[in-house]
Amino acid sequence: MPDDELNMRRIARDLRASSPRVDKSFDDRVMAAVRSLPRHARLTLWSRLTAPRTVTVKPLGWSVLAASVALLAIFGFNRAVDDVRVASKPIVAAVFPKTGAAAVKPPQRVQFVLVAPEAKKVAVVGDFNGWDAGHASYQAQHRGGGVWSVTAPVPIGHHRYSFVVDDSVWVTDPMAPRVMDNDYGVANSAIVVEEQK
Amino acid sequence: MRIAALAGVAISLVVARGLPAQDARLAARLDKPTLIAVNAIVDSARLSKLPTEPLVDKALEGAAKGSEGTNIVVAVHQLSVRMGSAKRVLGTATTPDEIKAAASAMDVGISVRDLARLRAAAGKQPVTLPLAVLTDLVGRNVPIETATNLVLQLARAGVKDPDLALFQRNVRADIDRGADPTVAATTRARGLVLRGGAPSKPAE
Repeated sequence: MPDDELNMRRIARDLRASSPRVDKSFDDRVMAAVRSLPRHARLTLWSRLTAPRTVTVKPLGWSVLAASVALLAIFGFNRAVDDVRVASKPIVAAVFPKTGAAAVKPPQRVQFVLVAPEAKKVAVVGDFNGWDAGHASYQAQHRGGGVWSVTAPVPIGHHRYSFVVDDSVWVTDPMAPRVMDNDYGVANSAIVVEEQK
Repeated sequence: MRIAALAGVAISLVVARGLPAQDARLAARLDKPTLIAVNAIVDSARLSKLPTEPLVDKALEGAAKGSEGTNIVVAVHQLSVRMGSAKRVLGTATTPDEIKAAASAMDVGISVRDLARLRAAAGKQPVTLPLAVLTDLVGRNVPIETATNLVLQLARAGVKDPDLALFQRNVRADIDRGADPTVAATTRARGLVLRGGAPSKPAE
């Protein structure tokens, strides 16, 4: 063992042997001395905010903050723009390409007709009215002889729709092509609505 | 530590801003588990820059038809997948209308390969109307292969949208008058190509 280490061990042994004994009141006396020291004035919130202080700049921390703020600004702006677009979006979901002034085309009036002599109520549902059989504008009227019809607005483009008889029976339009529905097993009718010249 | 806290607040705000906008129509028509699942799909589509209205519409259709919640979720998910596939095939510059039209076309049996062929044939021209015409032809019982080849021919011939819309009207009129759908579509398409894109006058 090297001499230096031997010396260190001897010194440590001597110090342990000569450690002073501390009486039981030592802790109390130390704490009393600490309490007697003058206290710092309590900082108010305002003084915390306004008091000058030293700021330590850590590149990593500030990079994270800067990136977060940039992300907030960019994403928040984009979301705001999206909100505006949604708010100004026409109720028309036209399939046809939108160009210039033709981008916003009003829905066209379309007449739906169904012969259902036994029906007590007939409504038209489709992707143009949220498939809502209770939509007031798409309730067919009985015209006599079992003929029900309604003329309602439908946006320009391709649409799927159906008649709902007595709130329960789905009936495709016999005058329109059928579209097989692989998702829900109930066929729809198809309609192409074009801008009227 | 303080900076980390500020960053946390900023990120929280970003996340809060990014939360999906709940569609009141869905909330009114779907049970809670279905609503949560559908909203998740819709939000995912939104982040992928896919149109979300067709997804909402698909869920509403399922609810109106009294379909089970699981079926609705599956249907919405499959539509989302179809739209994603359409966007990948048609390119990043694809418009929402093109994606919707492509998803509708795939719904009636048009393959991803045919979408790619149509994209290539149309060049930089939008394929919204060609896809809509293709879907309409198939819906009117023109066989998928025939309808696809006809629309591809028209696209390669550089037929413009107004002429294509007139072609569609003429075929519909022919079918409504009793013509065989395949014959009507083929005859009208050949005539259009032979005339160099200018269709005959509208059927009366």
